Amino acid sequence: MSHLSEEQLDQVIAAERSREQAPLNEWRTIAARAREEGLIRESQSSRWWASSQPWLQSAAAVLLLVGGIAIGRATIGLPSNAGLQSTAQASGVSVTPPASTAARVPAISASGDASFASVNDAAETLHRAVTDYERASQFLAANNTTGGNSDSLSMYLDRAAALDKIVNATESALRTAPHDPVINQYYLATMGARAATQQLVTQPVVLRGF
Amino acid sequence: MPFDQLDLKRAIAGDERAMQRLWSQHAPHIDAVVRRLCDDSELAADISQEVWMQIFRALPSYRGDSLFGTWAHRIAVNRTLNALRKIRRIAKLEVDIEDDSAMTEQDSDRTFVAESIEEAMRKLSPGARAVFVLHDIEGYTHGEIGEELGITSGGSKSQLFKARAKLRKLLVHLVDESSTVVVKGKGHVAPV
Repeated sequence: MSHLSEEQLDQVIAAERSREQAPLNEWRTIAARAREEGLIRESQSSRWWASSQPWLQSAAAVLLLVGGIAIGRATIGLPSNAGLQSTAQASGVSVTPPASTAARVPAISASGDASFASVNDAAETLHRAVTDYERASQFLAANNTTGGNSDSLSMYLDRAAALDKIVNATESALRTAPHDPVINQYYLATMGARAATQQLVTQPVVLRGF
Repeated sequence: MPFDQLDLKRAIAGDERAMQRLWSQHAPHIDAVVRRLCDDSELAADISQEVWMQIFRALPSYRGDSLFGTWAHRIAVNRTLNALRKIRRIAKLEVDIEDDSAMTEQDSDRTFVAESIEEAMRKLSPGARAVFVLHDIEGYTHGEIGEELGITSGGSKSQLFKARAKLRKLLVHLVDESSTVVVKGKGHVAPV
Protein backbone atom coordinates (compact mmCIF):
# COMPACT_ATOMS: atom_id res chain seq x y z
CA MET A 1 0.00 0.00 0.00
CA SER A 2 1.48 3.40 -0.99
CA HIS A 3 -1.18 5.70 0.41
CA LEU A 4 -3.56 5.99 3.35
CA SER A 5 -7.17 6.04 2.39
CA GLU A 6 -9.15 9.24 2.99
CA GLU A 7 -10.90 7.52 5.87
CA GLN A 8 -7.65 6.44 7.43
CA LEU A 9 -6.29 9.97 7.17
CA ASP A 10 -9.45 11.30 8.82
CA GLN A 11 -8.88 8.86 11.63
CA VAL A 12 -5.33 10.08 12.16
CA ILE A 13 -6.51 13.69 12.05
CA ALA A 14 -9.20 12.97 14.65
CA ALA A 15 -6.56 11.47 16.94
CA GLU A 16 -4.38 14.54 16.48
CA ARG A 17 -7.30 16.91 17.08
CA SER A 18 -8.14 15.34 20.41
CA ARG A 19 -4.56 15.06 21.62
CA GLU A 20 -3.85 16.96 24.81
CA GLN A 21 -0.75 19.11 24.54
CA ALA A 22 1.20 20.92 27.18
CA PRO A 23 1.53 24.72 26.94
CA LEU A 24 4.54 25.93 25.00
CA ASN A 25 5.73 28.19 27.81
CA GLU A 26 5.68 28.25 31.58
CA TRP A 27 3.43 30.76 33.29
CA ARG A 28 6.38 32.57 34.84
CA THR A 29 7.70 33.31 31.35
CA ILE A 30 4.37 34.76 30.27
CA ALA A 31 3.99 36.58 33.58
CA ALA A 32 7.43 38.16 33.28
CA ARG A 33 6.52 39.58 29.88
CA ALA A 34 3.15 40.76 31.12
CA ARG A 35 4.77 42.43 34.09
CA GLU A 36 7.29 44.17 31.83
CA GLU A 37 4.47 45.58 29.77
CA GLY A 38 2.54 46.67 32.81
CA LEU A 39 -0.27 44.23 32.14
CA ILE A 40 0.18 42.68 35.59
CA ARG A 41 -0.25 45.15 38.38
CA GLU A 42 0.56 44.63 41.99
CA SER A 43 -2.72 45.19 43.75
CA GLN A 44 -2.99 48.33 45.81
CA SER A 45 -4.39 46.39 48.71
CA SER A 46 -1.50 43.93 48.61
CA ARG A 47 0.98 46.76 48.67
CA TRP A 48 -0.81 48.36 51.57
CA TRP A 49 -0.98 45.08 53.41
CA ALA A 50 2.67 44.25 52.82
CA SER A 51 3.95 47.63 53.86
CA SER A 52 1.75 48.20 56.88
CA GLN A 53 2.93 47.75 60.43
CA PRO A 54 2.47 44.32 62.05
CA TRP A 55 0.19 45.78 64.70
CA LEU A 56 -1.97 47.28 61.98
CA GLN A 57 -2.23 43.88 60.31
CA SER A 58 -3.22 42.32 63.61
CA ALA A 59 -5.81 45.03 64.15
CA ALA A 60 -7.28 44.34 60.74
CA ALA A 61 -7.35 40.63 61.51
CA VAL A 62 -9.30 41.24 64.71
CA LEU A 63 -11.65 43.51 62.83
CA LEU A 64 -12.28 40.60 60.49
CA LEU A 65 -12.79 38.33 63.44
CA VAL A 66 -15.34 40.53 65.16
CA GLY A 67 -17.00 41.59 61.93
CA GLY A 68 -17.29 38.00 60.79
CA ILE A 69 -18.88 36.97 64.04
CA ALA A 70 -21.34 39.84 63.86
CA ILE A 71 -22.31 39.01 60.30
CA GLY A 72 -22.62 35.33 61.13
CA ARG A 73 -24.81 35.98 64.15
CA ALA A 74 -27.03 38.41 62.28
CA THR A 75 -27.44 35.88 59.48
CA ILE A 76 -28.59 33.05 61.72
CA GLY A 77 -30.84 35.36 63.70
CA LEU A 78 -29.07 35.41 67.04
CA PRO A 79 -28.47 38.51 69.14
CA SER A 80 -25.00 39.77 68.58
CA ASN A 81 -24.09 41.67 71.72
CA ALA A 82 -23.06 39.02 74.21
CA GLY A 83 -20.76 36.92 72.07
CA LEU A 84 -19.32 39.93 70.44
CA GLN A 85 -18.48 41.57 73.73
CA SER A 86 -17.06 38.44 75.26
CA THR A 87 -14.91 37.74 72.25
CA ALA A 88 -13.74 41.29 72.15
CA GLN A 89 -13.02 41.25 75.85
CA ALA A 90 -11.04 38.07 75.45
CA SER A 91 -8.87 39.84 72.91
CA GLY A 92 -8.60 42.95 75.05
CA VAL A 93 -10.42 45.16 72.58
CA SER A 94 -13.41 47.33 73.33
CA VAL A 95 -16.20 46.79 70.84
CA THR A 96 -19.28 48.89 70.23
CA PRO A 97 -22.18 46.66 69.29
CA PRO A 98 -23.94 47.48 66.02
CA ALA A 99 -26.92 49.76 66.37
CA SER A 100 -28.74 48.23 63.44
CA THR A 101 -28.37 45.56 60.80
CA ALA A 102 -27.03 48.20 58.49
CA ALA A 103 -24.07 48.66 60.82
CA ARG A 104 -22.85 45.13 61.19
CA VAL A 105 -19.17 45.93 61.14
CA PRO A 106 -18.45 46.94 64.70
CA ALA A 107 -16.45 49.97 65.61
CA ILE A 108 -13.30 49.52 67.63
CA SER A 109 -12.80 52.08 70.35
CA ALA A 110 -9.92 54.40 69.67
CA SER A 111 -9.83 55.62 73.24
CA GLY A 112 -7.41 52.97 74.40
CA ASP A 113 -9.57 52.07 77.41
CA ALA A 114 -8.08 48.57 77.53
CA SER A 115 -4.99 48.73 79.66
CA PHE A 116 -2.02 48.01 77.46
CA ALA A 117 1.47 48.86 78.56
CA SER A 118 2.69 49.54 75.04
CA VAL A 119 1.93 49.16 71.36
CA ASN A 120 3.85 45.88 71.39
CA ASP A 121 1.73 44.66 74.28
CA ALA A 122 -1.43 45.44 72.35
CA ALA A 123 -0.03 43.81 69.21
CA GLU A 124 0.79 40.61 71.12
CA THR A 125 -2.73 40.52 72.54
CA LEU A 126 -4.17 40.95 69.07
CA HIS A 127 -1.96 38.19 67.75
CA ARG A 128 -3.14 35.82 70.49
CA ALA A 129 -6.75 36.67 69.73
CA VAL A 130 -6.28 35.88 66.06
CA THR A 131 -4.62 32.59 66.89
CA ASP A 132 -7.44 31.67 69.30
CA TYR A 133 -10.02 32.58 66.68
CA GLU A 134 -8.38 30.40 64.06
CA ARG A 135 -8.16 27.44 66.44
CA ALA A 136 -11.75 27.83 67.58
CA SER A 137 -13.00 28.15 63.99
CA GLN A 138 -11.16 25.01 62.96
CA PHE A 139 -12.58 23.13 65.93
CA LEU A 140 -16.14 24.25 65.24
CA ALA A 141 -15.86 23.50 61.55
CA ALA A 142 -14.67 20.01 62.36
CA ASN A 143 -17.04 19.20 65.22
CA ASN A 144 -20.21 21.24 64.96
CA THR A 145 -21.77 20.31 61.66
CA THR A 146 -25.44 19.78 62.55
CA GLY A 147 -28.17 21.64 60.73
CA GLY A 148 -26.55 22.03 57.33
CA ASN A 149 -29.11 21.72 54.54
CA SER A 150 -29.94 22.91 51.06
CA ASP A 151 -31.50 26.11 52.44
CA SER A 152 -28.30 27.09 54.19
CA LEU A 153 -26.28 26.27 51.07
CA SER A 154 -28.56 28.48 49.02
CA MET A 155 -28.20 31.24 51.56
CA TYR A 156 -24.41 30.97 51.51
CA LEU A 157 -24.35 31.04 47.72
CA ASP A 158 -26.49 34.20 47.73
CA ARG A 159 -24.22 35.71 50.33
CA ALA A 160 -21.10 34.82 48.34
CA ALA A 161 -22.58 36.48 45.24
CA ALA A 162 -23.49 39.59 47.21
CA LEU A 163 -20.06 39.73 48.80
CA ASP A 164 -18.46 39.54 45.37
CA LYS A 165 -20.30 42.72 44.45
CA ILE A 166 -19.09 44.40 47.61
CA VAL A 167 -15.52 43.29 46.90
CA ASN A 168 -15.74 44.85 43.45
CA ALA A 169 -17.05 48.09 44.92
CA THR A 170 -14.41 48.25 47.63
CA GLU A 171 -11.65 47.41 45.15
CA SER A 172 -12.82 50.31 43.06
CA ALA A 173 -12.90 52.51 46.16
CA LEU A 174 -9.36 51.41 47.02
CA ARG A 175 -8.12 52.58 43.67
CA THR A 176 -9.51 56.00 44.50
CA ALA A 177 -8.23 56.06 48.07
CA PRO A 178 -5.59 53.37 48.41
CA HIS A 179 -4.35 54.40 51.84
CA ASP A 180 -7.63 55.30 53.47
CA PRO A 181 -7.91 53.15 56.63
CA VAL A 182 -11.72 53.09 56.62
CA ILE A 183 -11.90 51.86 53.03
CA ASN A 184 -9.19 49.31 53.76
CA GLN A 185 -11.12 48.07 56.77
CA TYR A 186 -14.26 47.58 54.72
CA TYR A 187 -12.27 45.83 52.03
CA LEU A 188 -10.54 43.49 54.47
CA ALA A 189 -13.73 42.74 56.36
CA THR A 190 -15.49 41.89 53.11
CA MET A 191 -12.65 39.71 51.88
CA GLY A 192 -12.62 37.88 55.20
CA ALA A 193 -16.36 37.34 55.13
CA ARG A 194 -16.18 36.12 51.56
CA ALA A 195 -13.42 33.63 52.36
CA ALA A 196 -15.45 32.34 55.30
CA THR A 197 -18.55 32.09 53.13
CA GLN A 198 -16.72 30.18 50.44
CA GLN A 199 -15.67 27.67 53.07
CA LEU A 200 -19.28 27.35 54.18
CA VAL A 201 -20.40 26.84 50.58
CA THR A 202 -18.10 23.87 50.24
CA GLN A 203 -19.25 22.51 53.59
CA PRO A 204 -22.42 24.29 54.78
CA VAL A 205 -22.68 24.19 58.56
CA VAL A 206 -24.52 26.04 61.25
CA LEU A 207 -22.19 27.10 63.98
CA ARG A 208 -24.21 26.64 67.13
CA GLY A 209 -21.52 28.10 69.32
CA PHE A 210 -22.12 31.64 68.08
CA MET B 1 -12.38 26.04 37.52
CA PRO B 2 -14.36 27.95 34.91
CA PHE B 3 -13.18 31.41 34.02
CA ASP B 4 -16.03 33.68 35.02
CA GLN B 5 -16.82 37.33 34.55
CA LEU B 6 -15.33 38.25 37.90
CA ASP B 7 -12.02 36.67 36.93
CA LEU B 8 -12.18 38.48 33.62
CA LYS B 9 -12.59 41.82 35.36
CA ARG B 10 -9.68 41.01 37.62
CA ALA B 11 -7.49 39.97 34.71
CA ILE B 12 -8.29 43.23 32.94
CA ALA B 13 -7.33 45.06 36.13
CA GLY B 14 -3.98 43.27 36.10
CA ASP B 15 -4.60 40.59 38.71
CA GLU B 16 -1.91 37.96 38.09
CA ARG B 17 -3.84 35.08 39.62
CA ALA B 18 -6.85 35.74 37.41
CA MET B 19 -4.60 35.98 34.37
CA GLN B 20 -2.92 32.73 35.28
CA ARG B 21 -6.28 30.97 35.62
CA LEU B 22 -7.18 32.23 32.17
CA TRP B 23 -3.90 31.01 30.73
CA SER B 24 -4.07 27.62 32.47
CA GLN B 25 -7.52 26.96 31.14
CA HIS B 26 -6.92 27.95 27.54
CA ALA B 27 -3.18 27.55 26.90
CA PRO B 28 -3.34 23.87 25.91
CA HIS B 29 -5.70 24.59 23.03
CA ILE B 30 -4.33 28.00 22.08
CA ASP B 31 -0.75 26.78 22.09
CA ALA B 32 -1.70 23.68 20.15
CA VAL B 33 -2.88 25.69 17.17
CA VAL B 34 0.27 27.82 17.31
CA ARG B 35 2.41 24.70 17.44
CA ARG B 36 0.62 23.15 14.46
CA LEU B 37 0.90 26.23 12.31
CA CYS B 38 4.64 26.51 12.95
CA ASP B 39 7.17 23.97 11.87
CA ASP B 40 9.60 24.78 14.63
CA SER B 41 8.92 24.32 18.34
CA GLU B 42 11.21 27.15 19.39
CA LEU B 43 9.51 29.53 17.01
CA ALA B 44 6.13 28.29 18.22
CA ALA B 45 7.07 29.07 21.83
CA ASP B 46 8.12 32.59 20.87
CA ILE B 47 4.95 33.18 18.89
CA SER B 48 2.86 31.75 21.71
CA GLN B 49 4.30 34.38 24.05
CA GLU B 50 3.29 37.08 21.59
CA VAL B 51 -0.15 35.53 21.26
CA TRP B 52 -0.72 35.60 25.00
CA MET B 53 0.54 39.16 25.29
CA GLN B 54 -1.91 40.13 22.58
CA ILE B 55 -4.74 38.29 24.33
CA PHE B 56 -4.01 40.10 27.60
CA ARG B 57 -3.66 43.46 25.85
CA ALA B 58 -6.94 42.92 24.07
CA LEU B 59 -8.86 41.69 27.12
CA PRO B 60 -10.67 45.01 27.66
CA SER B 61 -12.08 44.73 24.14
CA TYR B 62 -13.62 41.29 24.78
CA ARG B 63 -17.37 41.88 24.85
CA GLY B 64 -18.55 38.35 25.45
CA ASP B 65 -20.23 38.03 22.06
CA SER B 66 -18.55 34.66 21.61
CA LEU B 67 -17.01 32.14 23.95
CA PHE B 68 -13.76 33.38 25.40
CA GLY B 69 -11.91 30.39 23.96
CA THR B 70 -13.22 31.13 20.48
CA TRP B 71 -12.25 34.80 20.76
CA ALA B 72 -8.76 33.92 22.01
CA HIS B 73 -8.36 31.23 19.37
CA ARG B 74 -9.02 33.77 16.64
CA ILE B 75 -6.34 36.03 18.07
CA ALA B 76 -3.93 33.10 18.18
CA VAL B 77 -4.50 32.22 14.53
CA ASN B 78 -4.22 35.83 13.36
CA ARG B 79 -1.13 36.52 15.38
CA THR B 80 0.59 33.31 14.33
CA LEU B 81 -0.13 33.79 10.66
CA ASN B 82 1.05 37.41 10.85
CA ALA B 83 4.25 36.31 12.55
CA LEU B 84 4.84 33.65 9.93
CA ARG B 85 4.20 36.16 7.16
CA LYS B 86 6.71 38.53 8.68
CA ILE B 87 9.43 35.97 8.55
CA ARG B 88 8.42 35.06 5.03
CA ARG B 89 7.58 31.50 5.80
CA ILE B 90 4.15 31.52 4.29
CA ALA B 91 4.85 33.16 0.93
CA LYS B 92 5.25 29.94 -0.89
CA LEU B 93 1.98 28.08 -1.24
CA GLU B 94 3.17 25.20 -3.36
CA VAL B 95 3.56 21.85 -1.69
CA ASP B 96 7.23 21.40 -1.06
CA ILE B 97 8.92 18.53 0.67
CA GLU B 98 11.58 20.03 2.86
CA ASP B 99 14.80 18.63 4.10
CA ASP B 100 14.49 16.18 6.98
CA SER B 101 17.39 17.82 8.79
CA ALA B 102 15.02 20.56 9.91
CA MET B 103 13.50 18.13 12.39
CA THR B 104 13.58 19.32 15.98
CA GLU B 105 13.66 17.34 19.18
CA GLN B 106 10.50 15.49 20.13
CA ASP B 107 8.96 14.86 23.51
CA SER B 108 9.39 11.28 24.61
CA ASP B 109 5.78 10.93 25.70
CA ARG B 110 4.23 11.70 22.34
CA THR B 111 2.56 8.84 20.64
CA PHE B 112 3.79 7.32 17.45
CA VAL B 113 0.81 8.73 15.57
CA ALA B 114 1.31 12.21 17.01
CA GLU B 115 5.00 12.19 16.13
CA SER B 116 4.23 10.93 12.66
CA ILE B 117 1.63 13.53 11.87
CA GLU B 118 3.76 16.34 13.26
CA GLU B 119 6.66 15.18 11.15
CA ALA B 120 4.45 14.89 8.11
CA MET B 121 2.97 18.36 8.65
CA ARG B 122 6.46 19.82 8.79
CA LYS B 123 7.02 18.44 5.32
CA LEU B 124 4.11 20.41 3.93
CA SER B 125 4.69 23.89 2.61
CA PRO B 126 3.75 26.60 5.13
CA GLY B 127 0.66 27.52 3.13
CA ALA B 128 -0.55 23.97 2.72
CA ARG B 129 0.08 23.28 6.38
CA ALA B 130 -1.87 26.37 7.41
CA VAL B 131 -4.84 25.36 5.26
CA PHE B 132 -4.72 21.79 6.52
CA VAL B 133 -4.48 22.79 10.20
CA LEU B 134 -7.18 25.42 9.99
CA HIS B 135 -9.61 23.29 7.99
CA ASP B 136 -9.12 19.74 9.11
CA ILE B 137 -8.05 20.27 12.71
CA GLU B 138 -9.46 23.64 13.75
CA GLY B 139 -12.66 23.44 11.74
CA TYR B 140 -12.42 26.65 9.73
CA THR B 141 -14.37 26.92 6.48
CA HIS B 142 -12.56 27.56 3.21
CA GLY B 143 -14.09 31.04 3.17
CA GLU B 144 -12.67 31.84 6.60
CA ILE B 145 -9.30 30.40 5.61
CA GLY B 146 -9.32 32.50 2.46
CA GLU B 147 -9.82 35.62 4.55
CA GLU B 148 -7.09 34.67 7.00
CA LEU B 149 -4.51 33.78 4.37
CA GLY B 150 -5.48 36.26 1.68
CA ILE B 151 -6.27 33.58 -0.85
CA THR B 152 -9.46 32.52 -2.60
CA SER B 153 -11.76 29.85 -1.30
CA GLY B 154 -10.84 27.76 -4.34
CA GLY B 155 -7.16 28.23 -3.56
CA SER B 156 -7.79 26.99 -0.05
CA LYS B 157 -9.55 23.88 -1.36
CA SER B 158 -6.72 23.23 -3.76
CA GLN B 159 -4.13 23.54 -1.01
CA LEU B 160 -6.11 21.21 1.21
CA PHE B 161 -6.37 18.63 -1.54
CA LYS B 162 -2.62 18.74 -2.06
CA ALA B 163 -1.92 18.65 1.65
CA ARG B 164 -4.13 15.64 2.24
CA ALA B 165 -2.69 13.80 -0.75
CA LYS B 166 0.81 14.33 0.57
CA LEU B 167 -0.15 13.35 4.11
CA ARG B 168 -1.78 10.15 2.88
CA LYS B 169 1.51 9.28 1.28
CA LEU B 170 3.72 10.41 4.16
CA LEU B 171 1.65 8.59 6.77
CA VAL B 172 1.35 5.29 4.98
CA HIS B 173 3.67 3.68 7.53
CA LEU B 174 0.90 4.04 10.09
CA VAL B 175 -1.02 1.29 8.32
CA ASP B 176 0.00 -2.29 8.74
CA GLU B 177 -0.72 -5.10 6.33
CA SER B 178 -4.21 -5.65 7.70
CA SER B 179 -5.16 -2.05 6.82
CA THR B 180 -5.35 -1.00 10.44
CA VAL B 181 -4.08 2.32 11.72
CA VAL B 182 -1.63 1.54 14.50
CA VAL B 183 -0.52 3.48 17.51
CA LYS B 184 2.87 2.41 18.78
CA GLY B 185 2.69 1.08 22.30
CA LYS B 186 -1.07 1.42 22.44
CA GLY B 187 -2.18 -1.17 19.97
CA HIS B 188 -4.57 -0.39 17.18
CA VAL B 189 -6.75 2.68 16.97
CA ALA B 190 -9.39 1.00 14.88
CA PRO B 191 -9.62 -1.06 11.77
CA VAL B 192 -10.53 0.90 8.67
